[in-house]
Amino acid sequence: MTPELTALALAGLLQVVQYVLMSVPANLELGTAKTTSPRDRDRLGGDLQDRLSRRTARLYRALNNHYEGLILFTLAVVVVTLSDQSTPLTTACAWIYLGARVLYIPAYAFGWSPWRSLIWAVGFAATTLMLIASLI
Amino acid sequence: MLSDELSLLAIYGLLVALLLGLKTTGMIGQLGMGYVLSSRDELRTPRGMIGRLDRALNNSVTALALLAPAIAILALRDNFSDATRVAAQVFLLARLIYIPAYAFGIVGLRTLAWIAGFAATVALYFLAL
Repeated sequence: MTPELTALALAGLLQVVQYVLMSVPANLELGTAKTTSPRDRDRLGGDLQDRLSRRTARLYRALNNHYEGLILFTLAVVVVTLSDQSTPLTTACAWIYLGARVLYIPAYAFGWSPWRSLIWAVGFAATTLMLIASLI
Repeated sequence: MLSDELSLLAIYGLLVALLLGLKTTGMIGQLGMGYVLSSRDELRTPRGMIGRLDRALNNSVTALALLAPAIAILALRDNFSDATRVAAQVFLLARLIYIPAYAFGIVGLRTLAWIAGFAATVALYFLAL
């Protein structure tokens, strides 16, 4: 297994952790009657996110943001791995991505501004660099 | 050496990254740098062309999530052919049309481009099977 694939598997597990971090407080705050309902806006009184506490809503947005990041990162890892183009640069990028996505969670939850955006940009740049490296 | 389909996938990934950069730049202009850097506890939705770029980005990410497995399956099975290359090229071309068509609000063209990209993705799955 290439280091990029290890980082990808850990990023997938990180997403599982983010689910737990978000859904446990969300269920405690709203009650299972609401969370297991079909979440119709008229019955819930708006979007699910609007009913959550500030911190839990941030964790909700952090989870959704990681989906976007994870899709792009998966693509970069698949392209680098399947075309046998793993280099020290792409390996470093993969670990930097993972580190940035770990830090992104407390940065969002505790409202570290502008660090959240900077941490996000580091992860995004690492992914983009992997994609560019695979093409040249 | 990259096979063509994997290169096209990487190029599409960069296109999505570029679109994300455009949207974020627009959001900074429209909603303010302070809001973009904040925890966004208050919901502010981008309007006009920036809103369209935002929706085009979300759509492009879902298209990417659907396309990537098809290309990965084809690559892992060594199943690339002329047909899969053409389908991947059609996909990329369609998405290259889709983004400006959405941004400038060209009704009809946007939907046609979306259908072409979607059909190319479905074709890749059939070719993979």
